[in-house]
Amino acid sequence: MLSKKQNLLETISGGKPDRFVNQYEFMDIIMECPMGTMAGPGQTIVNEWGITFSWPEGQIGGFPVHDEEHIVLKDITKWKEQVKIPPIVTDDAAWAAAVEHSNNIDRNEVYATVFVAPGLFEMTHHLMSMENALMAYYEEPELMHELIAALTERELAYAAEVIKRVKPTALFHHDDWGGQTSTFISPEMFEEFFVPAYKKIYGFYKDNGVELVVHHGDSYAATFVPYMIEMGIDIWQGVMTTNNTPELIKKYGGQISFMGDIDSGVVDFPNWTREIIDREVERACTNCGKHYFIPNLTQGLNFSSFPGVYEETSEAIDEMSKKMF
Amino acid sequence: MSKIQEIQEMVSKGKTKVVAGLVQEALDEGKQPKEILDAMIESMGVVGDKFSAGEIFVPEMLIAAKAMSKGVDVLKPLLAGDSSVSLGTCVIGTVAGDLHDIGKNLVSMMLESSGFTIVDLGVDVPADKFVEAAKENNAVLAACSGLLTTTMPALKQTSLALKDAGFKVMVGGAPVTPEYAAECKADGYAPDAGGAVTKAKELVKA
Repeated sequence: MLSKKQNLLETISGGKPDRFVNQYEFMDIIMECPMGTMAGPGQTIVNEWGITFSWPEGQIGGFPVHDEEHIVLKDITKWKEQVKIPPIVTDDAAWAAAVEHSNNIDRNEVYATVFVAPGLFEMTHHLMSMENALMAYYEEPELMHELIAALTERELAYAAEVIKRVKPTALFHHDDWGGQTSTFISPEMFEEFFVPAYKKIYGFYKDNGVELVVHHGDSYAATFVPYMIEMGIDIWQGVMTTNNTPELIKKYGGQISFMGDIDSGVVDFPNWTREIIDREVERACTNCGKHYFIPNLTQGLNFSSFPGVYEETSEAIDEMSKKMF
Repeated sequence: MSKIQEIQEMVSKGKTKVVAGLVQEALDEGKQPKEILDAMIESMGVVGDKFSAGEIFVPEMLIAAKAMSKGVDVLKPLLAGDSSVSLGTCVIGTVAGDLHDIGKNLVSMMLESSGFTIVDLGVDVPADKFVEAAKENNAVLAACSGLLTTTMPALKQTSLALKDAGFKVMVGGAPVTPEYAAECKADGYAPDAGGAVTKAKELVKA
């Protein structure tokens, strides 16, 4: 039996995997890194950038608050005054838990993975609100380039620190670029504003020991796949069925792999059932096949919103492995 | 190209800095405010259709709506009191427990650009607040948004409360299907902001 890491490598290289890679099993994600404050269920917090996040009790996620009072960057022409870029945490105590976690990972079996969120596109709209950010790409493109360059430099500074501290072998990086059926911006705009920045960031990680870049975006982004390949993404996690994953595998398999195709919204809801999970897992595994594909909930971390869904999905994937391998 | 056509082109291209000037020039040439407004609404209709067809993206739609709003600012004082220019008031919001606002804001902007007067209730809006606002504003339509599987019950509750109070209701959001809209007893459903305008116009004219 191949190790989790070997099986992953066989899968994404078109080799001889002996089973499906089961969701996030190949990544041990070091969540203890001092990346920044995030809201938990029922909380409202202000993070290091001054962005207010609220997670209503009983709901499934936190959201930036963007009424007039809470928008951080109200006027893009004043971004240098209004955006206070927080320093990278550099004291040993804050990193101790992450370092300890990293030291305990069996790197032959799994990838020591660092998690980065939000990404560049998300940061622009967290700071400005979505509408203001999207209009600014048209109205003040030079200033948006400046802002994205500053965010990129900050990401690179964090990358340098996290690489020095925990020596990751994989990066799990979030940035959602669309809704269910469309990207928020055109491919041309994406190429202009984000591809160069991500080439820098992902290139830096890969030049410094990271072997695998996994990018999360649980949206439609099929038209961005050529750019993902150009940026250095090895695995697109979160690929929704609306992207036609089997078609993407046929077209781009070997250059990039796809992780997802089990839409969280379809299986992970209050009245979830094992029957629905079995149906979706079987569909995904049968349609997408054994190469360049990792069956997975589209959710951007290794858990589900409703207890039991993630674990039952893993069981259903194991059963499909027994049938198909 | 006529001045009206020029305005339409500049609106659809999102030229926020030139539309107001062109509208003023059209007025100076003797064009009627209503004629100019209708031309801009028509232009935004084309923008909405292109968005629904995937030919343009959210920024293009937003910037076109903003360009139109610059033109509307010039016309507003001239149109005040002319009830024929509005399709009526639509109250819009994201239902209780849900803080998503992007889809709701896009629909709001497109409905406003198509001639509705918008009362935006924001996010996390309880059903009774929707009903109260619809009554207060004599709304011809209520538009309810929900983006989470967990807030679908709130969407249904809100829609039913508005229907009970006698209002026409549209629902939308990522998890919403035509079948779920029917379960909510909503009068209309649209999958995107462009479609929402078409459906809203159908509903208020029915």
